[in-house]
Amino acid sequence: MRARRISAGLAERLLAGPVLWVGLALLTAFALGPFVWMLLTSLKDRQELYATPLQYLPHHVTFENYVEAWTSPITPFSRFFLNSLWVCSVTMVATTGISVLAGYAIARFRFAGRDTLLLIFLATQMFPSVLLIAPLLTQWRALGLIDTYQALIYSNFSFTVPFTVWMMVGYFSSIPRELEESAMIDGCSQFGSLCRVVLPLAAPGIAATAIFAFVVSWSELLFAISFTTQTSMRTLSAGLLYMVGQYEVQWGPLSAGVIMSTVPVAILFTFLQRHLIHGLTAGAVKG
Amino acid sequence: MSSVQVALGSRRARPLLSLRARTLLTGYAYLVPAALCLLATVAVPIGKAIQMSLYADVLFKPQDYRFIGLGNYIYLVEDPVFWLSLWNSFVWVFGSVVLQFVVGFAAALLLHQAFAGRTLLRTLLLLPWVIPGVVVGLIWEWLYQPNYGVINDLLINAGLLHDRVAWLSNPDLAMAAVVFTNVWRGIPFFAIMLLAGLQAVPDELYEAARIDGAGVWARFWHVTLPLMRPIIVVATATRIIWTFNYADLIFVMTSGGPANATQITSTYTLMQAYANLDFGYAAALSVVLLLVMLAFTAAYLRITKGVEEAQ
Amino acid sequence: MNERWLLSRRNFLRTLVGTGVIAASDLNWWDAPLISPRRAWGAEPVHFQFSVPEPTRITLVTSLVERFNQSQKDFAVEVEFVPQAQARQKLISAISSGSPPDLCQIWDNWLGQFQGMGALEDLTARVKSWKHQPDVQPTAWQTVTVGNAIVSLPLSVTLDAIFYRTDRLKEYGLKEPTPDWTWDDFLALAQGFTKADKNQYGYGMRGAGTWAVLYPSEFAYANGAEVLKDGKVVINSKEGVDALAWYMDLALKHHVTPPSAATDGFVEIVETFGRGVTNMYQHNSGSVGQQKKNVGADKFATLPVPIGPAKKRASFYFSETLTGFKNARNKEGAWQFMSFMLEDEPSLMYCKTLGLLPARKSILDQPDFKDDPALAGFRNSFPFTIVSPYLAYAGWGGKLDSDGVPLMQQAIVGKISPKECLDKFADILTKNMS
Repeated sequence: MRARRISAGLAERLLAGPVLWVGLALLTAFALGPFVWMLLTSLKDRQELYATPLQYLPHHVTFENYVEAWTSPITPFSRFFLNSLWVCSVTMVATTGISVLAGYAIARFRFAGRDTLLLIFLATQMFPSVLLIAPLLTQWRALGLIDTYQALIYSNFSFTVPFTVWMMVGYFSSIPRELEESAMIDGCSQFGSLCRVVLPLAAPGIAATAIFAFVVSWSELLFAISFTTQTSMRTLSAGLLYMVGQYEVQWGPLSAGVIMSTVPVAILFTFLQRHLIHGLTAGAVKG
Repeated sequence: MSSVQVALGSRRARPLLSLRARTLLTGYAYLVPAALCLLATVAVPIGKAIQMSLYADVLFKPQDYRFIGLGNYIYLVEDPVFWLSLWNSFVWVFGSVVLQFVVGFAAALLLHQAFAGRTLLRTLLLLPWVIPGVVVGLIWEWLYQPNYGVINDLLINAGLLHDRVAWLSNPDLAMAAVVFTNVWRGIPFFAIMLLAGLQAVPDELYEAARIDGAGVWARFWHVTLPLMRPIIVVATATRIIWTFNYADLIFVMTSGGPANATQITSTYTLMQAYANLDFGYAAALSVVLLLVMLAFTAAYLRITKGVEEAQ
Repeated sequence: MNERWLLSRRNFLRTLVGTGVIAASDLNWWDAPLISPRRAWGAEPVHFQFSVPEPTRITLVTSLVERFNQSQKDFAVEVEFVPQAQARQKLISAISSGSPPDLCQIWDNWLGQFQGMGALEDLTARVKSWKHQPDVQPTAWQTVTVGNAIVSLPLSVTLDAIFYRTDRLKEYGLKEPTPDWTWDDFLALAQGFTKADKNQYGYGMRGAGTWAVLYPSEFAYANGAEVLKDGKVVINSKEGVDALAWYMDLALKHHVTPPSAATDGFVEIVETFGRGVTNMYQHNSGSVGQQKKNVGADKFATLPVPIGPAKKRASFYFSETLTGFKNARNKEGAWQFMSFMLEDEPSLMYCKTLGLLPARKSILDQPDFKDDPALAGFRNSFPFTIVSPYLAYAGWGGKLDSDGVPLMQQAIVGKISPKECLDKFADILTKNMS
């Protein structure tokens, strides 16, 4: 019993107390600083935006930027939202499914060419996506997929799948093999042990991979513009760029659009966080 | 077992494939969806690009289109801007990834602790990652603006700066400025990835180490890091590859300037392709970049022992 | 544009009119056709790519497209808006994959390369029999002629002039410049406008983007230099070097430019003037509309570029074009729409709303353009304007961006001398004459 109540050293107390709070404060300020500025900008009207010297707090708070962005028929943010939500959700679900399977296979099964395969996955990302546009365009046009969600989703796979496979390999590698082996000794098939033993333990990794796939396709821009022509099929990223005029950036509506575009991801992540908790492996390996 | 079962058992057909073969096949089967995705979207275009690099392919000079073998590559080796861009790429990648990793790991450790409002804070710290790179570039370009940007304004009002600094227009500062923005954008990636990895480290190991008298640092070094090695390697390797190719931020903020101070190989490739319409040379640049990254990744994985299982 | 969009806007406007909230005649000019868009049966689609989508332009172009669709029943134009930075990439990819749009709105400095790719449709025959052909300014025709082929219709034209703050002029007691001002007047005004303690600078020099090379070139012409003479590149003549040295001294010696000059592109120079950080800048008429909103129409005016030591000056003439493609599916529809956009009312509304200048002389003489003081500097520049000399060779277009701009940036920060800069630049131009 005495072993358990060894008093925490000075370092530990420091870490749990002041260091934690100072660290969090600095981190929050750094990460959120620009967002605070964006938020303030979105609440100002044009005159206050262009005032010199720089005006921080809006004297006259206005929501016209948000209303304008959301209801404007020229740049229908509501429509862009829906498009992005759909494309990114499907990408997220499909990518996670594919990469869980592939990642498990690569992490667990020892087969020839395993390392080369991993390297090839990564190598597909070492190529500038800009040069992929023309061949992909020909492909999608031939398949009649221009201005469809499918073209965007399949194109998103080209950069989500390689990375997510790698990540799942990493996460699966950190789960001890003995767990599955003991499950299989108890009568489970390989696939069964994957479902019942490994997946719950890999839940944090899967959650992280899912959010990665979603976020990365949420902010994707090049494919969205290249493979769609109608405004009604444009995604949020393209929609934000509609605020960049020929000689000026419309900061008011753009900031409003940026703030709005963070909301769905924030909501999604709040749900996924449930899986990013500790303790699932506690006591898993006996002895 | 009854005699009936025994009889049935002895006449059960032997499986077509051995257990080992079945395991292997299952493994390959799990890989099929991923392989299909990549084949359709990436493999074919890369092949085409390699072919393109062997031709003199300037789009507005179609009459000059011909096979020139290694001609583009020879030009590349003699191109001073290419070597400068390669050096800039290394500075860009290592500066960004090292800082992102260090701060991201610190963030992951902080967010791993239990405190009130943790869920909210984790969500808020994810946000820099959510905005498209082009928009991040526009916003930070605005923040860095010497005359009406927030950064100079705050620093001058706080008395830390006397003259307005032109962050992006000064060849000596521009790279640091874009790296800083990239770090801002990349921290959430590491924070989330490493946070997920931290969850998998069992508490008992920490307890055991503590009982053995290990202090905070020793526990971190001997328990946390080794168990997280696969994830650390994966996260850093993927981030390095990603950053090498990441042209959006620099393209928007400085277009590779001033005077090529922030020109990295991927922005240089973009410029050759779309400003000069020299697709042959752009393809050659891409192939060379691919080879450089392959060599680097192979070496990196070997040194860090890659994704070998954590012991 | 898609149905849902039009439906919602149409219903909204109908309600407003129906409930008497606004009279039908009070509608913005561009809203009228949207009240009852006609869906013609059997109309062939025409795919039109427009490359500067921002709210004003989107409304304007959509309305013009709708008017065209209503005015005839053979063709239905569908417009695609592509953000400016991606427009060029998208066009190139579309051309390479064999399916360009039917027509697009692009700038004349892209035409050389596209024609070199063999992508553009030759409109010479159509133009010769077009009723407005003689009304379009000859310089405008020059900008859309590549080789001997006319490949586009000039939608609007532009040239460069100097914007300056009239209110600050009075405030600082500076001498009012005349349209025939000289380089010395310009420098004196810039110095008078520079108040570093108030964070104000005299001249918003441009360091990024193609025009970072063109503006100093205009100054070089004022000193008697030229880009091409007898087929040889002579921009690095003594006159050229001296002119560039004078220009760079604005930044290096007199410090009348803001510290961000080396990477300021068009967005920055417009915004810095709009915020009152610079009191003069050089640009085309496209930013007039913005400055009227940012600064106030009564607080600024425009002047032609100053006369140089050689008693000359030049302003480079550009046009925004409507261009068709050889591999387009619907070339007849494209031509019909192009010529519609250059009719009296569409051309007037397009140019007036955006602060651009029409290519047709008869429209340029209308009061909207003639009597606007903000456009005075541009009108007064027509007599000495020339087509940009850099359009001479298709191979030069890209080199301005990839090589010319970094050279200029190095000169602005003082890393290389003007002579070195121009020598290297002339070298690159000579190597790429094709």
